[in-house]
Amino acid sequence: MNIRRQLATQATMTRSSKAIAASALIILICIGALSYWGEVRNENDREWVTHTLFVVEQLQEIRIDITLAESGQRGYLLAGEEKYLKPYQAGLDRVGQDMEKLQNLTLDNPRQQEAVLRLAPLVAARLEELSAGIEIRKQSGLQPGVEAVAHENTGGKWMGQIGAQIEEMRHTEAELLTARLETAAASTRKMKVLIACGNTLAILILLAKGFVIHRETLRRNLAEENLKQSNERLERRTSELSETNIELESFAYSVAHDLRAPLRHIAGYSSVLAQDYGPRLDEEGLRCLTTIVDSARRMGRLVDDLLALSQIGRKKLTFQETALGSLVAQVVEDLVPECAGREVEWQIGELFSVECDPGLMKQVFMNLLSNAVKYTRRQAHALIQVGQSMQNGERVIFIRDNGVGFEMQYADKLFGVFQRLHKARDFEGTGVGLATVQRIIRKHGGRVWAEAALDRGASFFFTLTPEMKVPEQAEPVIHEEEMHVARS
Amino acid sequence: MSHEVEILLVEDSPEDSELTIRALRRYKIANEIQVAEDGAEALDFLFSRGSFKDRTPSQTPKLVLLDLKLPKVSGIDVLRAIRADERTRPIPVVILTSSKEERDLIDGYKLGVNAYAQKPVDFEQFSETVRQIGLFWMLINQPPPPGAFTASKG
Repeated sequence: MNIRRQLATQATMTRSSKAIAASALIILICIGALSYWGEVRNENDREWVTHTLFVVEQLQEIRIDITLAESGQRGYLLAGEEKYLKPYQAGLDRVGQDMEKLQNLTLDNPRQQEAVLRLAPLVAARLEELSAGIEIRKQSGLQPGVEAVAHENTGGKWMGQIGAQIEEMRHTEAELLTARLETAAASTRKMKVLIACGNTLAILILLAKGFVIHRETLRRNLAEENLKQSNERLERRTSELSETNIELESFAYSVAHDLRAPLRHIAGYSSVLAQDYGPRLDEEGLRCLTTIVDSARRMGRLVDDLLALSQIGRKKLTFQETALGSLVAQVVEDLVPECAGREVEWQIGELFSVECDPGLMKQVFMNLLSNAVKYTRRQAHALIQVGQSMQNGERVIFIRDNGVGFEMQYADKLFGVFQRLHKARDFEGTGVGLATVQRIIRKHGGRVWAEAALDRGASFFFTLTPEMKVPEQAEPVIHEEEMHVARS
Repeated sequence: MSHEVEILLVEDSPEDSELTIRALRRYKIANEIQVAEDGAEALDFLFSRGSFKDRTPSQTPKLVLLDLKLPKVSGIDVLRAIRADERTRPIPVVILTSSKEERDLIDGYKLGVNAYAQKPVDFEQFSETVRQIGLFWMLINQPPPPGAFTASKG
């Protein structure tokens, strides 16, 4: 399955999952807010219920107050003793306070206020009557007092009216209580329904989200599994390849190595033949023998070069700080015999020090410089230059000659094993030298390339390890050269 | 009675033996050359064992030319045995082989080989290599006084 598509799907899934989570959160917040608001309203309703009960209680209190005053008065009328006036007085005092309380409690209800206004004169009238009875008893004694009260016989009338009034108010409050209880119950019911529905919805949403996450996890696991598998495949392939590579290298090595012995014998016995039996051979015989010796010699070089090449492939690099300048100087010294009898001008520029395998790097310069010496053979004045330059922030070493060069269209063949751009008759060689150079440079993490034109010389360039890279500077080359001078 | 062996050539290839002996004789470096065709035979000769049990062990060769890839006992093991024994330790051993493997070079020098040369394919170069080795070890090099290693231990 296409991993990129999987990842895209996954991204979409993640977005939708986020939207679901957000909506669940919003719903839960709404439920919370509504619950709070409902609770506040419920409390209000309950307060009103309590309020109603207070009013009813207050009405009861008033009735008790009046009864208290009445019984005190009657006691006094009968006994004429001052002590009976105490409950009378207490009832009197309290009825005033309680009427005031009632007045305040019913401020919210105009209908009850009117009822209070109707109740107040009745209570006042009854109290007046009680007071009058006491006065008569004080002034005129027991008989006239009792008679006056009994005669008037208004007490019963007032009390009946007061009771009726209180009953009416109580009735009103009872109605209110019923209504308010119902309101409170209704809002509680509504809240219950709201909370139940909201929670159910939130749970459903969360379940949906859980499902989506589950599916996403499955998909992600699948994608990860796929990735892991392809990584494992890649690793397996890489290790197989490197094993194959090592096998190939060892194969090439052992083939080349085992070829050496019979080759040495061919060369050896041909030479022995030439030395010991040369005089007995005619000219043609000697020519054939010489060809055998030459061929064996050439094949020996080929095998040795091949061995060297395969050895480089298997070799572990031993890096150390190396002054390329002194490596080049050694190689030029080694090439002195090859330049014998020729006019060869060497122009060696400033070269920096790099981390590299000095043995292999010397091989690189040896191959490139001996090529330069070889292919400038036809020049009356051979010029070989070695130097360094900056190209795109990268340090590049170049080796340039004014020799026969080559056609650029064959440049890609230059670094292949056994690839040659010149006839063996013109320039001897095995076609392994530049392949070796490329292998060494690549092992150092660098690149090698060439530029040339037929009969107008060739230039070889190479970079080395990433350490050779320097940050872009105004005058990087000059700076590097200064560094080099300072170090050497 | 045979002449004292001057060179022990440990070489399994008869062609290489012949070419080597030819080169040694050509430059008149040695006449008495004993060839051992495998490592075991070389050790038998050096320690007067097996078919060489009648040989006087104190008559050590002046030089051992040792190939590395040998049947039975490898060249490296022959070298190890030579260096492990008081009597044979001073004998100059030169490895003359096709191999230029780093491993072989390291093992050879670790075990105290005196020189290591690769057999060149070209016969002229091969002869020259054998000549220079023979010249140096047979004629220029001064061996320790006779009996210096057999008389006293260490």
